[in-house]
Amino acid sequence: MKLLVCIKQVPDMESKFRIDADGLWYERSDLAWRMNEYDEYGVEQAVQLKEQTGADLTVLCIGPDQVKETMKKALAMGCDRGVHIVDNSSQLKDPFEIASMIAEFAGDKGFDLIFTGMQSQDRGSAQVGVMVAELLSLPAVTTIVDFAFSAGKITIKRELEGGVKARVVTTLPALVTCQLGLNTPRYPTLPNIMKAKKKELLTIAAGDLRQADALQETIKIEFPLKKIGGLFLEGEIADIADRLIRILKEKTAVLA
Amino acid sequence: MEFTRQIYWNIGYGPVTLVPMYLFAGLAITVLVFGFLKRMKMYRLGKPVVRTDQPLERFTDMMRTMLLQTRVLRVTGPGLTHALFFWGFFLLFIGTGLIVIQADFTDLFFDYVFLKGTFYKIFSITLDLAGLVAIFMLLGLLVRRWFVRPNGLETKLDDFIMHGLLLTILLTGFIIEGARMAVTELGTPLAPWSPVGLAIAHGFSGTSHELLLALHRGLWWFHLALAMLFIGLIPFTKFRHILTTGANSFFADRGPVGKLITLDLENEEAESFGAAKVTDLTWKDLFDTDACTLCKRCQDRCPAYATDKPLSPMQVVKRIGELAAKNHEADMIEAIGRDTIWSCTTCRACQDICPASVEHVGKIIEMRRNLVLMEGEFPGTEVMTAMEQLEVNGNPLGMGYASRSDWAKGLEIAGPAEDPKIDILYFVGCYASFDKRNMAIARSFITLCKAAGIRVGILGKDEKCCGEPARKMGNEYLYQTLAAENIAVLKGYGIKKIVTTCPHCFNTLNKDYRDLGLSPDYQVQSHPDFLAELIAHGRLKVAGEPFTCTYHDSCYLGRHNGIYDSPRELISAAGGNIVEMERNRDQAFCCSAGGGRILAEEKLGTRINIKRVEMAAATGTDQLLSNCPFCLTMFEDGVKGANIEESMRPRDIAELLAERLQTTT
Amino acid sequence: MKMLLVAEYRQGQLLESYTELLAFAASMGAECAMFLAADTSGDLPKFSGRLYLADVARYGEYNPEVHKLLLLEAVAKEQPETIVFCHSSYGWDLAPRLAVGLEAAQISEVVAVQDGALLSPICNGKLRRTLKSKGQLTIVTIQAGAFCLSEPADGVPTVVPVTGEYQGKTHFLGYEKAEHGGVDLSKAEIIVSAGRGVGKPENIAMVADLAKVLGGEYGASRPVVDSLWVEHNRQVGTTGLTVSPKLYIACGISGAVQHLAGMKKSEFVVAINTDKDAPIGDVADVFAVADLKQLLPVLTEKLQAL
Repeated sequence: MKLLVCIKQVPDMESKFRIDADGLWYERSDLAWRMNEYDEYGVEQAVQLKEQTGADLTVLCIGPDQVKETMKKALAMGCDRGVHIVDNSSQLKDPFEIASMIAEFAGDKGFDLIFTGMQSQDRGSAQVGVMVAELLSLPAVTTIVDFAFSAGKITIKRELEGGVKARVVTTLPALVTCQLGLNTPRYPTLPNIMKAKKKELLTIAAGDLRQADALQETIKIEFPLKKIGGLFLEGEIADIADRLIRILKEKTAVLA
Repeated sequence: MEFTRQIYWNIGYGPVTLVPMYLFAGLAITVLVFGFLKRMKMYRLGKPVVRTDQPLERFTDMMRTMLLQTRVLRVTGPGLTHALFFWGFFLLFIGTGLIVIQADFTDLFFDYVFLKGTFYKIFSITLDLAGLVAIFMLLGLLVRRWFVRPNGLETKLDDFIMHGLLLTILLTGFIIEGARMAVTELGTPLAPWSPVGLAIAHGFSGTSHELLLALHRGLWWFHLALAMLFIGLIPFTKFRHILTTGANSFFADRGPVGKLITLDLENEEAESFGAAKVTDLTWKDLFDTDACTLCKRCQDRCPAYATDKPLSPMQVVKRIGELAAKNHEADMIEAIGRDTIWSCTTCRACQDICPASVEHVGKIIEMRRNLVLMEGEFPGTEVMTAMEQLEVNGNPLGMGYASRSDWAKGLEIAGPAEDPKIDILYFVGCYASFDKRNMAIARSFITLCKAAGIRVGILGKDEKCCGEPARKMGNEYLYQTLAAENIAVLKGYGIKKIVTTCPHCFNTLNKDYRDLGLSPDYQVQSHPDFLAELIAHGRLKVAGEPFTCTYHDSCYLGRHNGIYDSPRELISAAGGNIVEMERNRDQAFCCSAGGGRILAEEKLGTRINIKRVEMAAATGTDQLLSNCPFCLTMFEDGVKGANIEESMRPRDIAELLAERLQTTT
Repeated sequence: MKMLLVAEYRQGQLLESYTELLAFAASMGAECAMFLAADTSGDLPKFSGRLYLADVARYGEYNPEVHKLLLLEAVAKEQPETIVFCHSSYGWDLAPRLAVGLEAAQISEVVAVQDGALLSPICNGKLRRTLKSKGQLTIVTIQAGAFCLSEPADGVPTVVPVTGEYQGKTHFLGYEKAEHGGVDLSKAEIIVSAGRGVGKPENIAMVADLAKVLGGEYGASRPVVDSLWVEHNRQVGTTGLTVSPKLYIACGISGAVQHLAGMKKSEFVVAINTDKDAPIGDVADVFAVADLKQLLPVLTEKLQAL
């Protein structure tokens, strides 16, 4: 069985973001980078499936050279090899362009199951995974929080609103997009970190893959405006408490 | 009269005595040797480690430790009792040895007798008193073990044998002497030189001559048999500590204090890291289990044990010994228990007080290394998250690395790249950089340096966590990665004087980093030492306004680095009158955050930090001064948990001094 | 401009979120039609326009490949310029399939419209992005609660049945309800919520205490529930509950987009956070810059004394 997991390198969300010089994306310098949290669950589930079935697992990532660091973590978690699509302007590409590159790579490889994160923490469009499935004519199930494989079928639970889950089953080949809480991503052990350094890392230039046309464009990036009329209370704790109580009495019917 | 004694009087001269006696002795010594050879098989299960370097220094230390009982005496009550017993028994041993030398060699072959005259008188009285002291001390130890029953002291068959056998040997010795003196020495001027024997001889008045001779002869052989039994039993009972505990001070860890093995992570041959079985530990680790006498001094001082966590350093050592002896293929981590392993704060109270030079902390760290490096296991998901944060942002708090020097905004501190003329590099540490309460310490430190005319530089966002909590949690790989990055940055700038306000950073940079390439010409100093020097040289002036307070010796400045005085000097200079807690200096009680546990939640037992702030409150003062950001954080938490926020204020020494700064007029 | 709005039907009910789709269409001044796979004899959305209705009994509530094909049928008939979904577990599952099928741009999680361009949050809500589609046809998903009708929805739709014969490979087996705890935050009038800023499970008590003294309920953000400090049925956010109390006090909550989506409809929002720049400030009427561990006990005490 052949598995593929797609990951993205994103900035740590605790970073202070600035807008880049072109005003079309966030400034990339002075940020700490990590694997997209949703993708971590995908890698872990893919590795667990590999352990269960002895499957072969490839991890794919698009981006500049620096994403290799994040790919190493996926390899250390248990992926067999990595495919790095080198693209220094991937952040400017829209989801369809990204999905097209992935589909172009994966199209002739015969993957039985493709794992992606439900969305990326930076852009958060939640499109790439499903689009790859559509381009490859694979069934796709999104927002999975439970996964089981048996005899060519996968039984999945989707997380819906209000704490409700939906149980779904589909046959392979298929694609799933992973939601937070699907599993507990493992901490790479040292022998695996060492092995990862020697695993095959195939490099493909983005230009070698068919480039789709951009379907949308970013007009600008800005900081959201603070709510007008939002009042800030600062100072001594007791003071803040008093003022807050006064405001609640005045502005709400809560403290009669 | 000739002041001497006929050795073998009433026993028999020549081969009739010597042959069975030496056969017996030969047998005993053979059993002793084979017993130890068998035990050596157990030590050999461990990995190699060099503990025979500096042989002369090691030998001297061993002699001093053994003969002067220095480590035993650190706990006065039972320590003095044991020391006196030891000296008594040791003198008796020497005495018997001298008799053997004379009777079976010098007199036998060369007709040379030295146990005579004044020498013999001194010999006699010394041995009598030694024996008497030994008996009383042994009785004292017996009473302690069986009647006082100190909490946590384990009494086993071994202890019954040891007390019984030794007491009987000592008592029979005196009875034999008494019987002999009743026949040969009563009424002579020599008699008073053996007062105990004399008293017993008097007690024999009325006993018939034949009975005395028979008693003397019988008891002599009985005493010999018991002594040989004692020798034979050494390897098989706690008696072995006579040899192993002494030897362990030869093989002791000669420092630097708290040094851990720096794993060679590049080693492609290594199949495993850390210790999962007893065979993964070193031979010294296994030898430790034989040197341990279950005295429980370590357990008594362990902050985890004191707060109902499953960790007892003594039990860990004992368990390892059991596995090594009976089932060395067993899963050691399973046998000791994960909760036990993760509970340690590496405060070193155990290792510091141990009279047998046992090394507790290293064994626990090796097990942690196995759990982390081979299994990816941590004591909780919050610790795994902290490790991931260390990898991503270079600090465990999840704060963006680029804002590491935001605390210094407005203070006009440059990095060494901008200002090559700086005097010291201030290695700030994660807590002082990002934690609101501890940022005040960093700012106070800068205030003090400026007042003293010291130009300070910081690494800013190039500084990463020193890696210590990761290392103590067992994540040697992450530690070495962080350390390598910090060392490269430090070397890049070449500022040779580094000062820290965190004892963990201090200890790590000053000791651990030396193994990874930070050469000795990079001087690292902790802030109390640094500030005390400034005051001593008159560069910093502090106005002493009188106040009372108590002071907490952090584990990493205190036991790990022996820095007890400079903080106290600083507090004095500020006018502080320290009311010491009962457990202070090397006996200080850990705040709970060491051993990487600052990253973890304390889920078992009761809170260590609350226990410590209650100790502080017991001094009746209202200020708890400390010198470590972990301690400060724990105490701030602790006073809230103990509901004494209003009456006990935790502070760092740097804040205190900055407040009392006297600007030179 | 013509829009096709995709309404949702789940667990045997028409979801009210269709009104948000109508509000979005109104904000763009668009004429709209709707698509829905639902019980054909049950409640229908209240609006005046064409409703492309597929029988959920035949096609299933979750059957993405089939729903896509049904939707394409409606698109072919209606020829809209924009197709709008809610950014929900139904919407984000279905929308990209249509985007590929129609080779149209998809702009996700729109929170506002500005001069005909669409605004979407990125980086956990710390930044906002203005996007324009380059094609004739655009797919849009709108954030829950971002668009609200000013007046109740009204009207009777003109039903156009959608009846194609389609098969899918994905089979829906059933729903699993969330664990019951008795409390229903969606009905609470006062909610005090705990975020990661509480630091430790022990501190949940102070949040619960404040809720109690105010006569309300306590809730939590996702990370707190994921850490098992609070039960799942108290989670506020897109994957938990959407609440609309009179008073919402967010303690130590940074204001991630998913959480905001769950509580934006609150009448009065108080944020307590040490970080002045936290995105929760976007929705807060009052922002107390303080450590909740210090403020909450004092606040509770003072309220108790009233």
